[in-house]
Amino acid sequence: MRRRDVILAAGASALLPTSLPALADTTAGSVVGLVGGCTVTRGGSAVALKLGDPVAVSDAVDVPAGGKLKLRMSDGTILSLASGTHVTLATYQSDAAGHRQNVQLALGQGLLRAVVAPVEHPAMFEVSTAVGTAAVRSTDWFIEAKPGTAQVGVLSGSVELSSAATGRAVTIPARWGARVEAGRDPVEARVWAPQEFQAVISRTDVP
Amino acid sequence: MLLGLTVALGCTAPAMAYDASGDRLFPATVLLPQVAPGDEFYVNAATLPQSGPAARQSNFTATYQKTITDNLGIEIEETWTAVGQSGAGTNYGWQNLDGELKYLALNNTDHEFLLALGLDRETGGTGATRVGAFGSGATTPRAYFAKGLGDLDIGYLRPLAVEGYGGMQFADAAPRPDQTQGGLVLEYSIPYLESKVHSFDLPDWLRNVTPITEFTFTTPAGRSYGEGATALFGPGVSYAGEGWELAVEALVPATRATGTGIGVTAQLHFALDFLFADSMLGKPLFSTR
Repeated sequence: MRRRDVILAAGASALLPTSLPALADTTAGSVVGLVGGCTVTRGGSAVALKLGDPVAVSDAVDVPAGGKLKLRMSDGTILSLASGTHVTLATYQSDAAGHRQNVQLALGQGLLRAVVAPVEHPAMFEVSTAVGTAAVRSTDWFIEAKPGTAQVGVLSGSVELSSAATGRAVTIPARWGARVEAGRDPVEARVWAPQEFQAVISRTDVP
Repeated sequence: MLLGLTVALGCTAPAMAYDASGDRLFPATVLLPQVAPGDEFYVNAATLPQSGPAARQSNFTATYQKTITDNLGIEIEETWTAVGQSGAGTNYGWQNLDGELKYLALNNTDHEFLLALGLDRETGGTGATRVGAFGSGATTPRAYFAKGLGDLDIGYLRPLAVEGYGGMQFADAAPRPDQTQGGLVLEYSIPYLESKVHSFDLPDWLRNVTPITEFTFTTPAGRSYGEGATALFGPGVSYAGEGWELAVEALVPATRATGTGIGVTAQLHFALDFLFADSMLGKPLFSTR
């Protein structure tokens, strides 16, 4: 991050409330890694995040330019958010033992890496974008949303990427990736080059 | 003349599979060798009427390809041939064992362009001369390319793609001739049309179809030892499932040395890197991924 960006980020954070509104029993996870002035919007209030802060269902999380954020969720899933990412934790349901039941994230823009904790029972983990939805069982994968398109890359496990417009879906196995564009079928999956994976890994790697 | 089909198909018949560059997938070709290395297995059957004492030749080919690194792979291929004799029985036997080392030299994803280099080696004396296998082997350096037209502003022609290769086969010993080899493929990808150009409300089965036409040829270079030039067209379709493809093409010979009537070929291809993505069957032996 350039020095000017650091100052702007720090300045913006200084204007934000320093404490989060009280949480109902909807805690979904917590911050375990942070770079830059990441914020969470809850109940209409934007608050600067810091290490250890909880995040909850319905929270909208923003990572500014130059920032990164890592969350450990209640089911053990790790979410790593790249610079310029906006994601809403629409649903994050776990049972009393912490086993995931139903997860739905809404990725407005940016890049997200999810190392999804395995579960022994049927459970849903979905990330939706404006143009399509990616659904997984247990896997290590990436999804990036840009205006008019979304792409998925899978390091392990498999992901099903479906088009919001046509409903058609492609299965993406490990080492493969695919894209979906607005109003169209998903592009056929293909093997991703190591450079393609390295690019998204470095953008989501939170020290 | 006896082995017009085998020679037209590069002696080891088809060597095919899908390749990808950017959002472009090139389906498994049937007559031409594939452009890039991959992890795949496929079987092919082809039959074509012949002139002379051999009334019909049929080939059954199995091919296994394995990536060593992300850009380097090997291929092993074996063909079993049946030659039906006019007024006589049928001769059966294996063609020579074939292998190829292939290196993907360039993958320009923005322009959907692949360039690869191959070195094919046919091991002489491993096949049966009664079905036309040569007693001597041959070595063939080749260059391959594939180009999708999706980066051009040509509207509904963007799903078009061309693939091709050229090579020079050097025989180990006479009386086998050296050969110039080559081929071209023209294809129109409906999956590409639906995902990159415009999503029409087509039936599900049609969304997975790619019409394809292939052309391959061989020409003796230098002394021919009685071998003629071969040329073969293969118009057909390829249907893509998840991890597999099925292609069927007509075989239309363009020279008498290739064949004397319309034949047919079918191929079933399995993408091992899709079906066994997490095992060594489906990924390079040495990879940074």
